[in-house]
Amino acid sequence: MTARSVCFLLLAPLLATGCGSDEAAPPPGDPEKGRAIIRAYGCGSCHVIPGIPGADGRTGPSLERIAKRVYLAGVLPNTPDDMARWIREPETVDPRTAMPNMGVSESDARDITAYLYTRK
Amino acid sequence: MNNRDRQDSIQQIRKRIEIHVGLAIAALVVAMGVGAAGFVYWGAYNVSALQQHTEPVFTLLNLALDRSIRQRAEEIEPPPLTPERAEQGRLIYQHKCVQCHGAPGVGRDDVGKGMTPVPPNLAHTAKTKSAAELFWPIKHGIKMTGMPSWQFTFTDEQIWDIVAFITQMPEMSPADYRAMGGGEEREPTRDVTTASAPAPTRAAAVPDPERGKLALYGYACIACHRIPGTVGPHADVGPPLNGIGGRRYLAGVLPNTFDNMVQWLRHPTEVNPLTAMPDLDVTQQDAMDMAAYLETLE
Repeated sequence: MTARSVCFLLLAPLLATGCGSDEAAPPPGDPEKGRAIIRAYGCGSCHVIPGIPGADGRTGPSLERIAKRVYLAGVLPNTPDDMARWIREPETVDPRTAMPNMGVSESDARDITAYLYTRK
Repeated sequence: MNNRDRQDSIQQIRKRIEIHVGLAIAALVVAMGVGAAGFVYWGAYNVSALQQHTEPVFTLLNLALDRSIRQRAEEIEPPPLTPERAEQGRLIYQHKCVQCHGAPGVGRDDVGKGMTPVPPNLAHTAKTKSAAELFWPIKHGIKMTGMPSWQFTFTDEQIWDIVAFITQMPEMSPADYRAMGGGEEREPTRDVTTASAPAPTRAAAVPDPERGKLALYGYACIACHRIPGTVGPHADVGPPLNGIGGRRYLAGVLPNTFDNMVQWLRHPTEVNPLTAMPDLDVTQQDAMDMAAYLETLE
């Protein structure tokens, strides 16, 4: 129990976060474009979205760490494909959902997904 | 001459300081030892499963657990985790694991609810751990957690089958799991239609937020949600509940009123048949207490 073990204790949190076992490849799409698109569609009027100024809506759930979430809309496994589908056609995922269909194009949905997957 | 006198007296003072410091340290060590012994002997530590660790202690224990498993899993080479293996694994999972860990859209049994540490939601675990890191704790168990070692029950091959199934869980919807034959109808194990068992002496139907907070541990809500004011795995299976008191909708479908929250907590699959939030046999009183606590989270 000396300097070495003390060092290890101090370093352990860094090690623990540093070598995360399976970092999946980022989904296709441009996160920077996604950020602008999120603002254009006004997603922040219903959701808290970290990194988007003014996105503090409290109608739907907060999207903090959404990339880590296991389920989307409480029903869909959280994969990039499913997230893009949920954004484009929420009513096909859950007919009763309060999330509106905003007429998001396929490529916009990809970019939004790419941005949201940076939220870990 | 004068100089030497001064040096001697400095030497003496230094010695005296060293002795005093030494004594002080020795006294401190003895006092700490006596204190620790008293702490144990007089039962000052509360071992209740609902009395969660403090956040720093929880974090340290969790870190020790993760590091221990990661270290030992490094030498394990997983076989190919095929769909056939996963199907075999599902059969075992449904018999031996779902009681404490639940499954997509399927709640854990009562035995898995009030435990500390809370048995994790494995769809969440599978997102962050390697196959070997899933294999090791199943084979060897985890001290002081309630996780048994299965190596005298299952062969390594069977344990890999279970691992194969668990690694598929993050991409499995509740509907997928049901379609595989999981989650057959289950009967509530006790009468949950009236007041809750442990709250008989208090005026019924007055929602108690403090008791509700305990109930969030008692029903293992913390296994899937981050809930301000609680200590737990901080899992993001479902949405974080910070600000839930000011949220407009529950589950994306219900206006957020007190009664709707109670309904949602008690019968989520009636509110939304597709939901991954499982029915946990929550009593009316417990749901009201939980709702009262959640309401305070602005």
